[in-house]
Amino acid sequence: MSISMQSRRKAAIWPLAIAVALSAAALIALLSIDDQITLGVTLGVIAAGCVLAARFGAVAATEAAGADHPFVLRVLVVLAAIAVLIGLRNDNFGLLMVTTVLIYATVCIGLTIQMGYAGLFNFAGAAFLGIGGYTAALLGPKGVPDLLLLALGGFAAVVVGSLLLLPVLRTRGHYAALATLAFSILFNVFLDANDIFGGPQGLKLQGMVLFGWDFTNDITIAGYTISSYANYAILAGLLTAAAMMLTGFIDRSWIGVWLDAVRLDEVAASVFGLKIGRWKIAAFTIGNFFAGVMGALYAKMTGFIAPSNFTFGDSLTMVSIVILGGIGNRWGVLPAALIVVLLPEKLQFIQEYRFLLFSILVIIILVAWPDGLIARRLRKLEFARR
Amino acid sequence: MAAVFQHILNGLMQGTIYGLVAMGFTIFFGVMNVIKFSHGDVLTFGAFAAIVAVWTTSGLGLPIWLQVIFVFLAAMLVSAVAGAAISHFLIMPLRNAPPLNMLLMTMMTGTVLRETIRLFFPNGTNSQRFPELLPVGGLNIGGVFIRYDGMILIASGIASIAIVHWIIVHTRFGLAVRAVAEDSETARTMGINFSRTILLTFALGSITAGFAGALFGLYYSEINYGMGLLLAIIGFSAAIVGGLGNIWGAILGGYLFAGLQTFVVAAAPSMSDYKNVFAFICVIALITLRPTGLIAERKAERV
Amino acid sequence: MDLMRWSKRLAILAAVSAFAMVALESEQAFAKEKVKIAFVGPMTGSISPHGIGGRNSAELAVKIMNSDPKTKYEYQLEVFDDECKPNVGVQVITKIASDRSIVAAIPHYCSATAIATVDIFHRFKLPMVIWAAVLPEITYAQKYPEIHRVSGILIGQNRVGAQFMKEHGYTTFVSVADSTDYGKSMNKYFTQFTLENNNKILGTFSVPPDQQDLSAELTKIKELNPQVIYFGGLTPLGARLRTQMEKLGITAQFEGNSGIMGDNYINAVGPKLAEGTVTFFDSPPIAKMPGGKFFTEQYQAAGYREPPEAYGPFAYVATRLVMETIEKAGPDRAKITAALGDVKDVPSIIAPITFDDHGQNITPLTTKYVVQDGKWVVWEDSEYATGKRKLVNCPHC
Repeated sequence: MSISMQSRRKAAIWPLAIAVALSAAALIALLSIDDQITLGVTLGVIAAGCVLAARFGAVAATEAAGADHPFVLRVLVVLAAIAVLIGLRNDNFGLLMVTTVLIYATVCIGLTIQMGYAGLFNFAGAAFLGIGGYTAALLGPKGVPDLLLLALGGFAAVVVGSLLLLPVLRTRGHYAALATLAFSILFNVFLDANDIFGGPQGLKLQGMVLFGWDFTNDITIAGYTISSYANYAILAGLLTAAAMMLTGFIDRSWIGVWLDAVRLDEVAASVFGLKIGRWKIAAFTIGNFFAGVMGALYAKMTGFIAPSNFTFGDSLTMVSIVILGGIGNRWGVLPAALIVVLLPEKLQFIQEYRFLLFSILVIIILVAWPDGLIARRLRKLEFARR
Repeated sequence: MAAVFQHILNGLMQGTIYGLVAMGFTIFFGVMNVIKFSHGDVLTFGAFAAIVAVWTTSGLGLPIWLQVIFVFLAAMLVSAVAGAAISHFLIMPLRNAPPLNMLLMTMMTGTVLRETIRLFFPNGTNSQRFPELLPVGGLNIGGVFIRYDGMILIASGIASIAIVHWIIVHTRFGLAVRAVAEDSETARTMGINFSRTILLTFALGSITAGFAGALFGLYYSEINYGMGLLLAIIGFSAAIVGGLGNIWGAILGGYLFAGLQTFVVAAAPSMSDYKNVFAFICVIALITLRPTGLIAERKAERV
Repeated sequence: MDLMRWSKRLAILAAVSAFAMVALESEQAFAKEKVKIAFVGPMTGSISPHGIGGRNSAELAVKIMNSDPKTKYEYQLEVFDDECKPNVGVQVITKIASDRSIVAAIPHYCSATAIATVDIFHRFKLPMVIWAAVLPEITYAQKYPEIHRVSGILIGQNRVGAQFMKEHGYTTFVSVADSTDYGKSMNKYFTQFTLENNNKILGTFSVPPDQQDLSAELTKIKELNPQVIYFGGLTPLGARLRTQMEKLGITAQFEGNSGIMGDNYINAVGPKLAEGTVTFFDSPPIAKMPGGKFFTEQYQAAGYREPPEAYGPFAYVATRLVMETIEKAGPDRAKITAALGDVKDVPSIIAPITFDDHGQNITPLTTKYVVQDGKWVVWEDSEYATGKRKLVNCPHC
């Protein structure tokens, strides 16, 4: 008996192109509009568009297209990024917001590896972000070049994270949650208490200078002047892209399968010979590295850090972003980060109520749509054709 | 030496409050395998209800001892209602969700409670002054100042812990709670009303939170909307260190945490800011060494 | 289709639109150019009474200015919340400074926030006049043309305070200050002037501003047994210190700083515990200045629920100064910065303003205050000065 499987036709490209183009346009619109009423209307239109798209299967079509044509996807993303930069060329604060979203998204991609793939609880995401930031603040004045600073931020996060490895590996479930939880609080209190790290007053930092190019300069291309924050936006974008690609690689490879096995059933995985400890350590380390690097970038960009930038509440926000986007799905992190970081800034009239509304939103999502915005697709392990 | 005793007295008070909070965590975990992070904010809710009670009763001109009674009653009642409501509407429906989701949801619920107080209570963002209802002043024994209200509050805290323990161990209701904690399916087949027991358990745990909130207000004369978060984390740590599901473990954990803090403060008063750092490091070390707590949780897992 | 009817309708429509356009046109011709200025202060959090008082005073200044038909511009005050946190301040100021439609700012009650944001103002060349933060380093650690301040610096109040305590015979002190740059600076000058007056400081404590439980520090202080406890920090921490001091049975005179000046402190500890607290504030007594009466009357008339608090008048002065400068120099950041460099003897409701070469107002003098019956009273007018009431364990009262 021979089993013949029809080769699946590759998905069409045009849904992908439209999705990327509309997303870029929506992003520019959201960032540029300041008037609250116009903003509200725009948001309503975008939300309605997304709901309709989901109803008519456009999201599935886009996902399929993206999976089948990775190269095209990358080209489209680059084009969209350039369009956004040009659209926001005069909007300093808008570019700052975009960069902040990218930074949070990258940290959450790291958290996706830790929580979504390996099943580890990490309630100290903001603390690792902070470790990267403080590394940059302390080593920067000592003359360390900026690119190295970013890497050192990542390594510092890994080193400090390794202190937590033993508790994280030995505990399960709620006990494991406590380890990172306690660390998050500990980190904050420690920074507040002593002076070497600036105490509650915080530390100032110089802006980035990369290969001689000072990031406080505006970029001039073909007669357009793009404001200086674009430098940070581009760098953050490159780092986010790198993180996405690395995570995608892990997901598609055997490592991803092993991590899933460890997460879903530890006992079975160890019975099959998987070294659980090794893979958990790997996941934890990679995630913390991402957080540390982005922390250093964040500190350099804002020029200032203080312990109150990295509280338990911020760690909780990051966990919420991961869950909101659909745990285990790295693509969901981007729109989730956008919603969580951008909307409270733009919607001035809910400024006071933003924590309350955000918490209620998360509760509703957890009750009604626990799979999040973009649920993780089941892994397809296709068998070879006979 | 006198200073050390002073620190110890203060530590006793804190340990009592932590123990009360930890008891709640452990009871909730025992019956439903859930860590209810909003417990600390339910405590805050109770404390704010207490302060409203003080304002109302002193406005009505009631005698002090009656005001104190109303303070505790209001705190316990409001906390019980809040805690039971959360359990009924949010936790029960989701009891089969992954632990991460439940954890996050209770944390968010806590945030909702906290923000509600901050936004809608008059002057919510500021600390509220809790009036002195208990006798002011104290005994001066050999340089150690023992506050009258401190003694009263510690005694009542210990009494309430004893009462809860007695309820769990020596009453039919407590028997039902323990049955559900041990094996909820069998308990149901034995005729125990599952949802009613759960509701009352959450109410009981939240009552202790309200009581602790009133204690806090009377002792420190100050409450603010954010006080519940750190208390919840410390209570959670204490419950875990003591072993989840074990009431004596929770109480032990509470006093242990306070003891660690006191140790730092007594040994190096100028480094007192580090007391929480030290205590949490010890907590992390403890759960690494004994992953299921000091009084270990006996657990059977179906493979 | 009746062509006649349609063309008649068209004609009416045309006439109405023409009339509307003309009306709008003339409306534009009479409207003044709108100018945006930013006010920054703590609007939420435990320091918010001060921020809100400042905001109300700034809004009052704008209202009064806008009601004057002779001004060239119409002012719009954008209010921002810095939560008294350095990192939030940095974010808010970055936002304001990158917004090119805002031409000037009146920032900051909290010194810890101001010292963090100073560089951003300079980087984006946004001129500003501080309305309350008193840390000297804000204007003196560097020479940025954009930075100005109408309130005093904390050196004056500590000098006057140390002398006052000496005159009243106090010799032993303990200092409790918060660990931000503000508290550190307060402690530095307090220590300097107290030692200059040949008094003894038995202990110094540095406490994070959010710390709730002060029993550790207070137990140690009880052991040291000083006559005076000096506090260098803001109201929430100060209130906690005063309350917990009482609970541990410590009897010492409580000496504050400008940070606890205002109704917020008295409300937080209650009139009984506040009674007898002394503090030193870098401003002439508002009630006695003619401008002060004007300010108080206008503030009442405007119907604000919250009191202006200690620095409300300074917020009014700073806002007014900014607007007057814009009237002279035009709504351009560079021109405003240049014009603010020339401020000499500009009249205000408090006293004439003169900026030195670092943008610091050199005129405010220090007034001593004491809490009497739940209100801050100028020392010289109080019953403590006449000897009817005495400070705690006062050697020479």
